[in-house]
Amino acid sequence: MRLILTALLCCLAAPVTAFDFNLNDLGKTLDTLKKVNQANTDIDEPKEIELGSGIASNLLGAAPLLKNNPVQKYVNQVGMWLAMQTERPGLPWHFAVLDDNDVNAFAAPGGYVFVTKGLLAQINSEAELAGVLAHEMSHILGRHYLNAIKKGARTSLLAEFAGDAMQQQGANPALTKLVNAGTEVYARGLDKSDEYEADRMGVVIATRAGYDPYGLPAVLQTLQGMNAQDASLALLFKTHPALSDRLSLLDKIMSGQFDDYENQPAHGQRFMTVMGKTGILVNRR
Amino acid sequence: MRWLFMFLLACSVLSTHAGEMAYTVRVTDLKAKPYTDAATLSKLPEKSHVEVLARKASWMQIKHDDTTGWVKMLSLRFGDATQQKSGDSGLSALFNVASTGGSGSTVSTGVRGLSEENLKNPKPDPQAMKELQRYTVSKRDAQSFAKSGKLRSNQLDYLSAAK
Repeated sequence: MRLILTALLCCLAAPVTAFDFNLNDLGKTLDTLKKVNQANTDIDEPKEIELGSGIASNLLGAAPLLKNNPVQKYVNQVGMWLAMQTERPGLPWHFAVLDDNDVNAFAAPGGYVFVTKGLLAQINSEAELAGVLAHEMSHILGRHYLNAIKKGARTSLLAEFAGDAMQQQGANPALTKLVNAGTEVYARGLDKSDEYEADRMGVVIATRAGYDPYGLPAVLQTLQGMNAQDASLALLFKTHPALSDRLSLLDKIMSGQFDDYENQPAHGQRFMTVMGKTGILVNRR
Repeated sequence: MRWLFMFLLACSVLSTHAGEMAYTVRVTDLKAKPYTDAATLSKLPEKSHVEVLARKASWMQIKHDDTTGWVKMLSLRFGDATQQKSGDSGLSALFNVASTGGSGSTVSTGVRGLSEENLKNPKPDPQAMKELQRYTVSKRDAQSFAKSGKLRSNQLDYLSAAK
């Protein structure tokens, strides 16, 4: 009897010790998790803008601004009007055309949106431009790049960046590291799900702004029809889901949802007038 | 009034795709006019080849076997259905870069451009950042810009992902 009791006690005791040990371990894990969480959530809006401004500067280091005031102004007018229809109208929104023949567009955290001259050359109307800008803005609204950067960065680096006082003079080494790591994300691309979400949000934002809802799908359709061998499409293709998949998803979700907005203006003429004298549209198909 | 409407309608039709070939990716109604309740001229089977004439919002005016009509634009893809376009995967564009020497060897350091190399070894341009600020417009400016284009804002919720 006594033997059985001892055996039972042993059986009972063993899990208890194990539990004790686990609790300790769990405590440590929770601590680490808490730190990670703090670091993640602590990139507030001013920090987001600071990070995005560094990335924007890097993108401008790779491709210069198009030297054409009327075009830059026009893209900012369309962009700002779109921004006013979003949940983050107060961000310092900046829009710019890059003097680069690659067909692409980029968004950096905090409100920076870039579109290349090469992409403008494939666009037919203001509604199409609005669709492209709204897609990029959605990456900012959804903090897609910010989350991708956070996912790839060391916790200690994030904590250092988040904890640093912004008004510190001189270079913040953590900021520089995060900015450069962040710029690399543009060579890899975002998750497919982020791109699909930006498509879904983009068509809605353009429609809210009073444009023909089909601007973004029209651009995607144009790009899908381009020669896939074209090297100017290589980075866009590498960093985005297949255009046919994006078009099929838009086909599904837009069907029947936008009938009330069918007659909103596309402003093909206004777009062509601004682009007319620039030579941007010269090389179009 | 009627001529004004017709004029506006004509303005909203974009004919930039004129003459391009496309094909249907699903069974598609060919409509007499760009409206859902317009008369259906015929049903185009999947992979029908069509010539695109113009776009108006979600509709494309097309020509198929000498019949002109309108189909939903997203039922179309440009190109030739029989030539399976590998471009959609982007792989051929990448292979193209690779076969022409690879972007790594063609882009030397110091050459600007939105190449992977330049994005991996970035150099900031603070001067351009300053210039960028000059282009920024105020909300008031954006509002009058919208007004001049008769852009009226709508309340509309974001769409959830397709199931």
